[in-house]
Amino acid sequence: MTTSTAPGGGSSLLVQVRELFGELLAQLSNFWFGMLLLAVWGVMTLIGVIVDQGKDQSFYLTTYPAALARLVLRLHLENIYHSSGYVAMIGLIIACMTLATFKRVIPNRLPPLRPVKIDKIPLNATVLMPGDPATVRGRIESFFAERGWLVRKREAGGVEWTFADKYNWARRGVLIAHVGFIVIAAGTTMYWAWGYSGQTTIVSGNTVTIPENGAKFQLDRFAYRIDPIQTRSGTVFQPIDYVSYMHVTGKDGVTHSAVLRVNQPLDVDGTAYYQASYGFAVPFTVTRDGVPVAGTPQAPLREGEGFGIGQTSRSVRYARFVGTIDARGGIGADPRPNNPGVALDFFDGDQPIGQVLVPLERGLDLGNGYRLNVGRYTLYSGIQYRHDPGIPLVGIGAFVLLAGLCISFYFLPARLYVRVDEAAQGVAVGIAATTVKGYEIFEEQFQSLVEALRREAQPPAAAPRATVTVAEGVT
Amino acid sequence: MNTDQLLIVTAISAYIVGTLALLNYLLSGVEISKRIGIPFAALGCAVQFTELLYRWQTSHIWPLTNLYGSLSLFAAMSVLIFIIFAVRYNLWFMGGFVLAIAAGFLAYALTWNEGYLPAVPALQSYWIKIHVPLVVSSYAAFMVAFVSAILYLIKYYGERSLENGGARSVAMQPAGAGGASLGGMELRTMAAPVAPRSIIVGDSPYLEQAAQQGNTLALWLATLPTLAKLDILTYRIVAVGLPLLTLGIITGAWWAKEAWGAYWQWDPKETAALISWIVYAMYMHLHTRNQWRGLRCAWLAAFGFVTIMFCYLGVNIWISGLHSYKM
Repeated sequence: MTTSTAPGGGSSLLVQVRELFGELLAQLSNFWFGMLLLAVWGVMTLIGVIVDQGKDQSFYLTTYPAALARLVLRLHLENIYHSSGYVAMIGLIIACMTLATFKRVIPNRLPPLRPVKIDKIPLNATVLMPGDPATVRGRIESFFAERGWLVRKREAGGVEWTFADKYNWARRGVLIAHVGFIVIAAGTTMYWAWGYSGQTTIVSGNTVTIPENGAKFQLDRFAYRIDPIQTRSGTVFQPIDYVSYMHVTGKDGVTHSAVLRVNQPLDVDGTAYYQASYGFAVPFTVTRDGVPVAGTPQAPLREGEGFGIGQTSRSVRYARFVGTIDARGGIGADPRPNNPGVALDFFDGDQPIGQVLVPLERGLDLGNGYRLNVGRYTLYSGIQYRHDPGIPLVGIGAFVLLAGLCISFYFLPARLYVRVDEAAQGVAVGIAATTVKGYEIFEEQFQSLVEALRREAQPPAAAPRATVTVAEGVT
Repeated sequence: MNTDQLLIVTAISAYIVGTLALLNYLLSGVEISKRIGIPFAALGCAVQFTELLYRWQTSHIWPLTNLYGSLSLFAAMSVLIFIIFAVRYNLWFMGGFVLAIAAGFLAYALTWNEGYLPAVPALQSYWIKIHVPLVVSSYAAFMVAFVSAILYLIKYYGERSLENGGARSVAMQPAGAGGASLGGMELRTMAAPVAPRSIIVGDSPYLEQAAQQGNTLALWLATLPTLAKLDILTYRIVAVGLPLLTLGIITGAWWAKEAWGAYWQWDPKETAALISWIVYAMYMHLHTRNQWRGLRCAWLAAFGFVTIMFCYLGVNIWISGLHSYKM
């Protein structure tokens, strides 16, 4: 980095800062830096696919080898997609993309109309045509214009050049794709700034209030359908449908009935509600010597919930609902509640001491006079909700990105340089072609174009072929 | 054997015959092999689509709700995309590889064929008729690009082996110096090269020399398009696959918003697709650079298909998530 003193002195620091800023911008807009960021982004995303995400610490410590578990936890790889590093990476990519677009892509892709040395460009040809230069030039201009080329003329050094451009507008494809990406990022940011999401469960007959917006949901009834299907491997119990019949009260205070199904979200005051899951809530009571023990949960428990047993160090957790307890007392394949029960995990302190399968409406002797009673199940519905003001922006950005990709890939901006010189017989038309994606990709079209021009050059009855010469670059 | 099984067996048989015929065409250049292979490729593809339609019509269950249907569509779309490109760019020489891979995937799909299962609630959406065909078509395009990239690598390293082997003594001569012709055009060599890897150069001089000396490998490699043409071909196929994958991700996000409540859940399938998207986006960027166009991009295209396979099968089978629809 060079330093200089600005006129008037005393502002060399400012000059240095400007130079530093310039270097920073140059670095951020550097193509290879952008590629490096994309590669790092890919690797970070891959880590998130391989490493289980969002589990608690004990999961990693018990499931992964100790060293790997420590690595995952210390580097916070268990929640990598929401880590500051991952977010910073995406931010850096967006900055790099923006700068590269405006500093490099657009300026580089709009070359001025200026003469070239035709035989120095790998895609070049010479076509001999009869007639005088002015007439031939006119015919060539018509020839290219008829084929959709934008023809322009310039005079340089006493020589008249013809320039023909095609799909010049498609040079903006990269810009459009990058803009799409940035718009998607802006939409995502809107959710982070102003959106919210959550989940709740509603036991049949109960009402819940969504804390973020005050909407009230009363679950009148929950219904599900599971069909036994005979497959080549045996019987499969396939979920077919589950649906919540509810009454919903929005901001206006008006209550109306609603039906919530998978793939059919409900919109209440700009927040979308989704049928996510369902389960079986089961009431539990604990008695000692026939007397209810304090601390027993008042409401039915959902899968995963638990409670302590009286004054003991023991606790119980409702692990899962079992639809069918088979004749041997094991868990049957049919998840529908034919002979239902609950699988309970027992703990002494933090230590698991066993799992027991208990039929519903039965009791379990826990010793020392304690008895656990299991009641009838009630269905509950699991609902997700999400308020995301950025969705329209994300949708627009996605299609802008797609449009940019299609423009970039399917419309090849190309430029033809044409020079007409007098030759021994008629005139020699020198043509060269450049594109924004190298020469190879345009070779076939260039050959077709030259062939068509050669045919155009021939008088209708003339048999002999014109001499067409393609010069070539050599490795 | 019921109609469904008969159609599957017919498709696999057609692919096997097509594979053998087109591989023979690739290795020997016998024209009749191509003429046999093409109709069998088309027959296998048509029968596969018929089989999927037949399943739909007889069961009234959309056939792409499980891994069997998805893999079956993948095989059929691979062949269809290959045929479209082959007709446009005369690519029948790579048909043997494409059909072999398609037949392999179809055979593997059969191991997941459990019969007719109705869709689980999450899959009961019109989006399945949009999202899945788009994504699977993108995978199919990337498979064809993979084959093209592999042929590039075979030719590149074949030329290298000739260069390092018997042809080492061959004096470096510019291609076309003896007045080779291209499409009726007379070629001549430029004195001062300006493009380091121009397509117009053609094959390596070592390859030409070895072919003239009757080297079997060289004779075979010479039947393949030039490296530059294979590179452009791979690029063109990726340019079909990447917008399809992008559209597939967009429609998937739209569907996810309706089914799960958020357009992006960081589900392993979504993130694996994002990885593939990043790899192919890098490919398209790097292909604009002369020093990357060719060998490095061929490796990247091959690696890209590995990420696609990880996304398609690895995540579905080994990693549990919202997309774990095997049966």
